[in-house]
Amino acid sequence: MLIFSVFKTLTDQQVTVELKNDLSITGVLKSVDQFLNIRLDNIKVLDEARHPHMMAVKNCFIRGSVVRYVQLPSEHVDTQLLEDATRRESLAAVKR
Amino acid sequence: MSSLQGYVDRRVLLILQDGRVIVFPASKPNANPQGVMVGFDQKSNVVLSDSKERIYSIDAGVEEAPLGLYLVKGDMIVLIGELDDAVDQAVDLGTIHAEPIPPIRY
Amino acid sequence: MLPLSLLNAAQNKPMLVELKNGETFNGHLVNCDNFMNITLREVYQTNTEGDRFWKLKECYIRGSTIKYLRVPDTLLDAVKEEQNRARDAGRGARGAFVSGNRGRGAPSRGGRGGRGGPMRGGRGRGRGV
Repeated sequence: MLIFSVFKTLTDQQVTVELKNDLSITGVLKSVDQFLNIRLDNIKVLDEARHPHMMAVKNCFIRGSVVRYVQLPSEHVDTQLLEDATRRESLAAVKR
Repeated sequence: MSSLQGYVDRRVLLILQDGRVIVFPASKPNANPQGVMVGFDQKSNVVLSDSKERIYSIDAGVEEAPLGLYLVKGDMIVLIGELDDAVDQAVDLGTIHAEPIPPIRY
Repeated sequence: MLPLSLLNAAQNKPMLVELKNGETFNGHLVNCDNFMNITLREVYQTNTEGDRFWKLKECYIRGSTIKYLRVPDTLLDAVKEEQNRARDAGRGARGAFVSGNRGRGAPSRGGRGGRGGPMRGGRGRGRGV
């Protein structure tokens, strides 16, 4: 759930999503849901010469289960805050 | 799954886990308005009407194979993208040579 | 339109089912359930390579093994019409006659399909034909 929240804070930022079929797609993060399905606007496929399949696609929905990595804009991620939140969450999990 | 709502009744491109690409015909003059995503559900199962598979290969241009009315299971879906009609129609698929999209490997 | 209402409306109609392992099944839909488990009758099965065929009188397919189903184009209009009719009927006869749970207009047939009968084909991955 924590990562879901992190993604929510990153809406309207530029991210690059690498899929498990080796496609990499850059775009503006529009929304994310609890499955970490992602919606991107204004997309661009990396190495478009090799992957012209999505030339005419302007925005897309990516199924969370096929995402390998998401490259985040580091200036918009407060790692300190994230570390603390992670500690808090794991502490809460232990107590439960 | 609310994020799929925006694609209903739109022309979309679908990439499946096995690497297939499914699209709707670049609209003919009186395109059947049904050439779109007709519906979806919680599990991101989708219904597509008038769909076509785009088959890519290195040695030949893109081929389109008509598929008709299709119900695709959500588990199979990698990506659903909205097509920009103008861009899609400007492309001469016959001149495009590209490797097929690789299947998903976990 | 919900994918399952389309499937429900496809009863007794011919369809093509491809499994995740690439095997295909051509037959008429007998029954289905909300997991998309289905039973087909008068089935032609092909293997992943598409070079071997089997004829089966009836078969049960577990929904989770399905890649996609292809149904007759005409079904789309049939379902839309049925939904319109159900909506109109619901408006006209609000409370007058309550017809079971016809929730979204689709005819709510399709019980639980089978009971986890034999599942054909494994979980391989492949392109079929």
